[in-house]
Amino acid sequence: MATKQVRYEALVKALHADLYRYGYWLCHDKHIAEDLVQETFLRAWRALDSLKDEKAAKSWLITILRRENARRFERKRFDMSEYEEASIADIKATSSEQEIENYWLREKIAKMPEEYREPLVLQVIGGFSGEEIAGILSLNKNTVMTRLFRARNQLKEAVDDEPKLRGLHNG
Amino acid sequence: MDDLKFRRSMLADPNNRDDAINAAIKSDSAKQKFSQELDTLENKIAQAMHITVPDDLANKLILRQTFASHQQQKRKTRVRLSMAASVALVMGLTVNFMMFSSTYKNLGDYAIAHVNYEASHFSNNDQPTVTLASLNEKMAAFKGSFDSTFGSLIFADYCRFDGSKSLHLVFQGQSSPVNIFILPDDEDIKFIANFANDKLQGRSLNFNHSNIIVVGDKQEPIKQWQERVSKHITWSI
Repeated sequence: MATKQVRYEALVKALHADLYRYGYWLCHDKHIAEDLVQETFLRAWRALDSLKDEKAAKSWLITILRRENARRFERKRFDMSEYEEASIADIKATSSEQEIENYWLREKIAKMPEEYREPLVLQVIGGFSGEEIAGILSLNKNTVMTRLFRARNQLKEAVDDEPKLRGLHNG
Repeated sequence: MDDLKFRRSMLADPNNRDDAINAAIKSDSAKQKFSQELDTLENKIAQAMHITVPDDLANKLILRQTFASHQQQKRKTRVRLSMAASVALVMGLTVNFMMFSSTYKNLGDYAIAHVNYEASHFSNNDQPTVTLASLNEKMAAFKGSFDSTFGSLIFADYCRFDGSKSLHLVFQGQSSPVNIFILPDDEDIKFIANFANDKLQGRSLNFNHSNIIVVGDKQEPIKQWQERVSKHITWSI
């Protein structure tokens, strides 16, 4: 019992931030993301004995979270097609250039098609390799690499097309 | 390495550069510029994606789990307790059944077994010692009495007859003692009118609330004994 508790707490401390961020990029809502993470960890607790390889913990948890997120749509059809700008508003409304740029880029990421965004989030936040992402999303590795390329290419073009920001950054 | 392939692999996974890509970056200043731009972009993306995580999220998660597993624990304890109770109940019933249920299939089997078991205690030559008065005193427990003795009664006492209290009478017979059991009608054990094994035979008679069983050896006129018993016995209810 005690060792399970210790394992669980270690898991929470090590991975909750990445999981929360991943959840956020799935649903674009801080509260839903928090709920998703809570559900995920509760399920993880119940199934903790089945987790043999600690290295696989992150992708295991992400798989649970994806399933939880999918279940959310089974239960209730949220109107998610229209993306509300307000929900990505930065809570820290500091006016530093960095924050403005973050905000701007966040919008771009959020507007990206989900099939491009999800592999990118997994790569940047999760630090997963192409093969691992392919495993989590049940996709072919080449498909994943193509999507990653397109995702980043879109962002790069968006950044390149934003003269003001470029100017700010390069100047 | 051509430019398209270079761009594709750089954009797909900027942090995973193999030797060919590193060489391409070194040899071409345009690619070097692209690589630098991409590094900047990568930093920006990483920063943009790193949403602020609520400070107390980790604690919340641990707290919620602690509550959940506490509830689960309580439920488990209840389940275990009820399981233990069921097991105890079943064991109790089994013991009860084994201790108090009839071991013999019917009255005859038991009567013969009883006679065989006690055969060594009685001899046909024993002197009749039991008076009618003391016999009727014992018969009172079965709400019956005899108006006279019939035959030489050498023994009369209460016996356990497969779990129920019975009166065991032993009379002198022609060659071996004759046993008569008076016992309350017991639904647990099957009534059988005639029975026998290789040496003994017996008959049972059912009255309102008692059975009278006569057991003797094969030469004994059991039917006569039975008639004598029913002739002399009177039931108070």
